[in-house]
Amino acid sequence: MFEGCTIKYIKDTLTDENQSIMVTYPANENGISKAMSVPLDENNTDYQNILAWVAEGNTIAEAD
Amino acid sequence: MALSKIDVANMLTGVTPVANGGTAATTLAGAGLAKRPNAKPIIINGDMAVAQRGTSFTGVSSGSNFPVDRFEFYPTNLGTYTIIQEALTSGEAYNNGFRTALRIDTTTADASPASTDYAILRTKFEGQDLQMIKKGTANAEKLTLAFWVKSNKTTTGQVNLFDIDNNRLVSGTYTISSANTWEKKVINFPADTTGAFDDNNALSLIVEFFLDGGSNFTSGTAPTSWETQSNGDRNANNFAIGSSTDNDFAITGVQLEVGEYTSSTLSPFQHESYGDNLARCQRYYYFHVSETINNDYDTTICLTSQYNSSSMKGYIHLPTQMRTTPTLNQNTGTNMYRVYESNSNATMTSISLTNESTFNTAVVNHGSSISVTQGSCGNLQTMDGTAFVAFNAEL
Repeated sequence: MFEGCTIKYIKDTLTDENQSIMVTYPANENGISKAMSVPLDENNTDYQNILAWVAEGNTIAEAD
Repeated sequence: MALSKIDVANMLTGVTPVANGGTAATTLAGAGLAKRPNAKPIIINGDMAVAQRGTSFTGVSSGSNFPVDRFEFYPTNLGTYTIIQEALTSGEAYNNGFRTALRIDTTTADASPASTDYAILRTKFEGQDLQMIKKGTANAEKLTLAFWVKSNKTTTGQVNLFDIDNNRLVSGTYTISSANTWEKKVINFPADTTGAFDDNNALSLIVEFFLDGGSNFTSGTAPTSWETQSNGDRNANNFAIGSSTDNDFAITGVQLEVGEYTSSTLSPFQHESYGDNLARCQRYYYFHVSETINNDYDTTICLTSQYNSSSMKGYIHLPTQMRTTPTLNQNTGTNMYRVYESNSNATMTSISLTNESTFNTAVVNHGSSISVTQGSCGNLQTMDGTAFVAFNAEL
């Protein structure tokens, strides 16, 4: 589902807490990527998919 | 001759008065009428009129794809397809009031799929919207699914009701009699006294048109009674859309009714206004802005407030309460977005949701570093021609 994607936490610069997860798909020839900013909400289907991906042994990259 | 009495109590209980001195009570169903327990169509966008993501997608070979809202085409390692919202200009579906259809054309065939491969067209439902079915009780209702379908293939296909809450399945089949001709199909499903739908905003039911699949999905028999779900039963009647590049499948007028009806007793499709239909779709997906729908001009996403020289926040009030806090979908890249303030730009590659976001309001900030003026307000805009912002709360 997330083949080739970068999946990384994004921090709120004011609170220094993780605010969402950025899923970025591979860029096209023009350097443009589709991306999802996924809320940390367990009712959100994309977040559920990320948690399933983590359960398979993958890791969400820490925020910069 | 005295006219029969019109009794309000009878109207409320679904019994119609008998005309001209008759004695037998006539039910609404017996009179060919339906007393819908739901005010709105259960299936959203069954006429395929709303297509917020676009109307044509080529090279579709994997993942979740929505050629129209609420209807997801999901192929996995089984062929490549063009999927479109097709404008209808003739034919029986057109003659019955449908102006759009969802169409799938096979562009790369896979006539020998691996056992785990599949291609499904489906629409999904929240459990809280299905409580009138009374599933899992002694009063569970039968269901009727109707739709218009057209294909080059004269074959039998399978459509499943998949109860996710209780892992239960029931199936119906339909046969396309004439190639390239719109045909209306009506399928009855039995009631299920086992397994209630959860009364919440999570996924409870999938209506699944199984269009192709490998042996893991074709090895069984289509269940005509509710059963514990078995993958081998989900595509026992393989439509095999991916088997040839000659193949296509088009569908519209998808209608799910509580109760058992025939083609002659089924109540008419409930056509909604485009606005009502769009608003119901927006609970699951909301296309906010793009440059392409604004003649390639930079387009306002929202106003922002600048908390300090490196932080801003913008607030987007969603047009309807979404199913859950949505994902923000976008394109990212150099100079994709900007905050315009004090006659200068602060450019950004992406936008990020903050944890203040809810199902009513998206609160966004910069997904990358930014330099702004503390205390200013600004205008968050698209900057690149490919920029867009949409919100996704699909099941």
